[in-house]
Amino acid sequence: MANVSVAAEWQLLYNRYYRKPELYPMRWKHVDLARHKVAAAPFGGPVAVIRDDSKIVQLHAESALRKLRLFNSAGHPLADTVWRHPGGRLIGMSWTDDLTLVCVVQDGTIYRYDLHAQLIEPNISMGKECFEQNVADCAFWGNGIVCITEQNQLFCIPDFRNPKPVPLADPMIEEPPRCIAVIEPQYTMSGNVEVLLGVADDPVVLVVEEDGVQRLGEDLLRGPLQKMVVSRDGKWLASFTHDGRLLVTTSDLTGVIIERECESALPPEQIAWCGMDAVLLYWDDMLLMMGPDGDPVHYLYDEPIILIPECDGVRILSNTSMEFLQRVPDSTVSIFTIGSTSPAALLYDALDHFDRRSAKADENLRLIKPSLPEAVEACVDAAGHEFDASRQRTLLRAASYGQAFCSNFQRDRIQEMCKILRVLNAVRNPKIGIPLSIQQYKLLSPSVLIGRLINAHRHLLALRISEYLGMNQEVVIMHWACSKITASLSIPDATLLEILLDKLKLCKGISYAAVAAHADKNGRRKLAAMLVDHEPRSSKQVPLLLSIGEEDTALMKATESGDTDLVYLVLFHIWQKRQSLEFFGTIQARPLARDLFISYAR
Amino acid sequence: MAQIPNLDNAPINLISIREQSQKELINILKNIRGKKCLVIDPKLGDSLSLIIQTSLLKEHGVELRHLSADHIQTDCTKVVYLVRSQPNLMRYICFNIHHDESKGLQREYHVYFVPRRTVACEKVLEEEKLHNTVTIAEYPLYIVPMDEDVLSFELDLAYKECQVDGDTSSLWHIAKAIHKLEFSFGLIPNVRAKGKASVRVADILNRMQAEEPVNSSDMVMPEINTLILLDREVDMVTPLCSQLTYEGLLDEFLNIKNGSVEIDASIMGLQQEGKKTKVPLNSTDKLFKEIRDLNFEVVVQILRQKATSMKQDYTEMTTTSQSVSELKDFVKKLNSLPEITRHINLAQHLTTFTSKPSFLGQLDMEHTIVESQSYDICFDYIEELIQKQEPLTMVLRLLILFSITNSGLPKKHFDYLRRELLHSYGFEHMATLNNLEKAGLFKKQESRSNWLTIKRALQLVVEDTDTANPNDISYVFSGYAPLSIRLIQHAIRSGWRPVEEILKLLPGPHLETKRGAFSNSPSFDSLSGVSNGIAKVPDGRRALVLVVFVGGVTFAEISALRFLCSQEGMAYDLIIATTKIVNGQTLVETFMEKLG
Repeated sequence: MANVSVAAEWQLLYNRYYRKPELYPMRWKHVDLARHKVAAAPFGGPVAVIRDDSKIVQLHAESALRKLRLFNSAGHPLADTVWRHPGGRLIGMSWTDDLTLVCVVQDGTIYRYDLHAQLIEPNISMGKECFEQNVADCAFWGNGIVCITEQNQLFCIPDFRNPKPVPLADPMIEEPPRCIAVIEPQYTMSGNVEVLLGVADDPVVLVVEEDGVQRLGEDLLRGPLQKMVVSRDGKWLASFTHDGRLLVTTSDLTGVIIERECESALPPEQIAWCGMDAVLLYWDDMLLMMGPDGDPVHYLYDEPIILIPECDGVRILSNTSMEFLQRVPDSTVSIFTIGSTSPAALLYDALDHFDRRSAKADENLRLIKPSLPEAVEACVDAAGHEFDASRQRTLLRAASYGQAFCSNFQRDRIQEMCKILRVLNAVRNPKIGIPLSIQQYKLLSPSVLIGRLINAHRHLLALRISEYLGMNQEVVIMHWACSKITASLSIPDATLLEILLDKLKLCKGISYAAVAAHADKNGRRKLAAMLVDHEPRSSKQVPLLLSIGEEDTALMKATESGDTDLVYLVLFHIWQKRQSLEFFGTIQARPLARDLFISYAR
Repeated sequence: MAQIPNLDNAPINLISIREQSQKELINILKNIRGKKCLVIDPKLGDSLSLIIQTSLLKEHGVELRHLSADHIQTDCTKVVYLVRSQPNLMRYICFNIHHDESKGLQREYHVYFVPRRTVACEKVLEEEKLHNTVTIAEYPLYIVPMDEDVLSFELDLAYKECQVDGDTSSLWHIAKAIHKLEFSFGLIPNVRAKGKASVRVADILNRMQAEEPVNSSDMVMPEINTLILLDREVDMVTPLCSQLTYEGLLDEFLNIKNGSVEIDASIMGLQQEGKKTKVPLNSTDKLFKEIRDLNFEVVVQILRQKATSMKQDYTEMTTTSQSVSELKDFVKKLNSLPEITRHINLAQHLTTFTSKPSFLGQLDMEHTIVESQSYDICFDYIEELIQKQEPLTMVLRLLILFSITNSGLPKKHFDYLRRELLHSYGFEHMATLNNLEKAGLFKKQESRSNWLTIKRALQLVVEDTDTANPNDISYVFSGYAPLSIRLIQHAIRSGWRPVEEILKLLPGPHLETKRGAFSNSPSFDSLSGVSNGIAKVPDGRRALVLVVFVGGVTFAEISALRFLCSQEGMAYDLIIATTKIVNGQTLVETFMEKLG
């Protein structure tokens, strides 16, 4: 039966089921994660890959120059660029919340790339000390970075939008820390970032802030920590101790939640939280999932993997595939567990009978009559969590089949879910490659998703989605128009104008002046002049006309608008720019301008 | 200050407008910490006194000063200038700051422009190299509620600027103010305008709507149904005639300023010799509300009646024994005593002016001119006034009235009167005469006058006007029905269409449009027809018409509109907005140019 095969893919960890569906086979070729440094963005974001210069690798036919390559989550190439930056080794790279790739090199310079592998100027420097002492290691979070120098000094940039390096307190340690983790500013008491350092040969965790260092866990730890990771909400700390134990504590190290022996005393290569209730440890070819109790789950991999923590699970990236390891949602469990007799499971079964024209369908329905609404709700919910479109459809059909028999169910629930799923399926398409789960989608919010799509130049899809969800399309069209201007240097002005107007008119109240300003910045003055003509707001139109040197039109438009202030603006502009004789000639023909100038001159 | 009018009975929520302005001003003061010296330009100060109490300003650590060419003496290190955006006021500020600099005083300067910063003003600061020293911001005060049904844009020079200087800034200001009202009360669906400036305002208003639309998608009924815009240029006759309503006369002789008059304390029966006292005049005063719009003759009678009945009550009180409830009624009546005394004092003061033969002669002449029958008598009278060197404004008033009703004077007379004027009053009045000519108020005759046609068609002169029980607006001028109000009467009742022929005789184009979602709904067309009940807002209130006078309005006209409003069968409430409340004298004064 279908139900059995679904549940057969699950693994039981203590009392919870976990599943690991494959999201995509990776479409990339000749990418060996073992030889590369990899940065993957959460929320199904892109993957950046560059050959790791700290490893000795054999170059086969490839050039000695390193290439930074960007892929989407399905391994579809987005862009690449040759890495030629000075400044020593690449220490770390990561994606920020707004999907810029930040790369830190040894001398403390930070290079930023956008999704199209274009370098974003200017480069940021971590400061003089970093330059002199060399950056040894770094840790990232949403929009910030902490660097530790070879002399164990810490510097952080709390927000890349305002890239000012801030020195943190001196941890006063001799040797480099064994491990480093950060608690994001939004989860700390002070509102500033807290850096956790696992110190060599000292059973303590140092908490470094801007204005002081604390020692935590002295009475809790029996030895130095080898590896640690903070949970997504900043409350828990999972760490791997010197003697091969996994230790889960509160992030202020006051209480132990879980303490479990692992099979190896060697520190794992990677450690990550899977949702909020399991921790993943990865050694060379083994992935171990530890829950609060019961036997850990083993997964074996014969190729290197990268763990990408998400809010509701972990994505596992390997050379050949992208998988998503998550706890099986409760609604899905209730439907697909082997031998489940929950109302939802019976409803699902009823649909199966109904499709096979079996009378048992009715019998099933009768059985669950009083709890039909919950059963429908469970089916809808389970459909939302599925990645497979056909299974989504079956579950939704089961829900709508059940709904027909229950009068008091909120009918728009199904409709709403269909809407969300259509959006999710659209962005999950391997070409787009954003494998969002429904929970991630809700956390990310549709507007951010649209922002990400337009940044990736997926304007049509973004437009369709925002139209479908009833959101304002102005952002999308505006961005499209600007990108179009940038990208089409070879198209003549008149043609381009037509193309642009065709789309701009879709959205009422869009600022033509803003698009025109962009055109002007790209050196297309004539196009700007033509565009600005369509701007209805004179207060925006006139200054722009002046900046592109169309004084006469500006004067005409200002006079038409009736706003004398705008007329003055133009007058003073012309007065400064032209010979006085010419100026008087210009205003002589325009009574309002002339009269205004006279009353000003009085 | 008791001057702040009570707006509780306003047909739309004017209180919210005033409170908004209050809050904005207080926020400005709050944002500048510590003690500060608030320097206000005097005219703006007058307007602000209708918005906010001085005591409230003082609560926010403010020392008040008026802006002038003199430097400001204060201990505060923070100086806040609150000025209308006029370049000449900038010069004062520059004087002030330069003076402080020369004394080595370190101060923090903030300049708040009312209603908005303008390039011209910033240019002045820039030329004086002060634009980095001062912090520039805006205080968006576009509209000041004067009374329950009167709004003012406080643009006292608007008419002259438009007509003489060609500076149309005020039109933008008016449109912006109306647009702001629309944001609070909904898009006004019907617009009627007459006159060049008014049509331009309607045009700018539409432009603003296109640029920054008021959300009309939600099908809420807009609170204001119709907007009527009227140029002062269309009817210059009315403001030049002497107003004969109580409030109008008070304004003519005592000059009402921001809802109060300032007179000698002795007139009000106070014992302080030689001191001035301020008497507030607005609808908060119940008795004033009752009598302000009546013809002065009637007012005197009413006051007499009130006094007699009071006296009667009093005698009854002393002679017979009274029950407690009757006593209570009497005491209640006594409460209105101060109001009665106040108005009796004022009325008595007014009669000293109105009984003067010169005033009666002037009234007589105004009527003769308006009747437009005997050209020579009028000409001789004005000539005589000039020879007698009567006050110039009074002479100009009659002269303009004369010129307008004849659509200019024949060249010979025009030149002659000009020469006579300059000879008797001095050459420095050349500029004034020039201004008047530019504005078309005192000019050479170019075409035949159509005043007679207009007068007849609109029934502007009504014989046998009963001032005590009026049945027509003509009571406000004891026989002359103001042209402006007649036009509005038509505009409200049936739109422009039936009077189109007459409108063509008056200066400027006219316009009638529907806007927004209502522009193509047929059910709303009936509005312009004879509409009883249809125009009523569902909750039983009457629909609202906003009448905007571009270039000023007189109290007599306001009274006439209030009279229209109170007539039976009138389906609308009226709200009046104006650039400034004017009378013949103040209007003429704006055209006077001081040379040297």
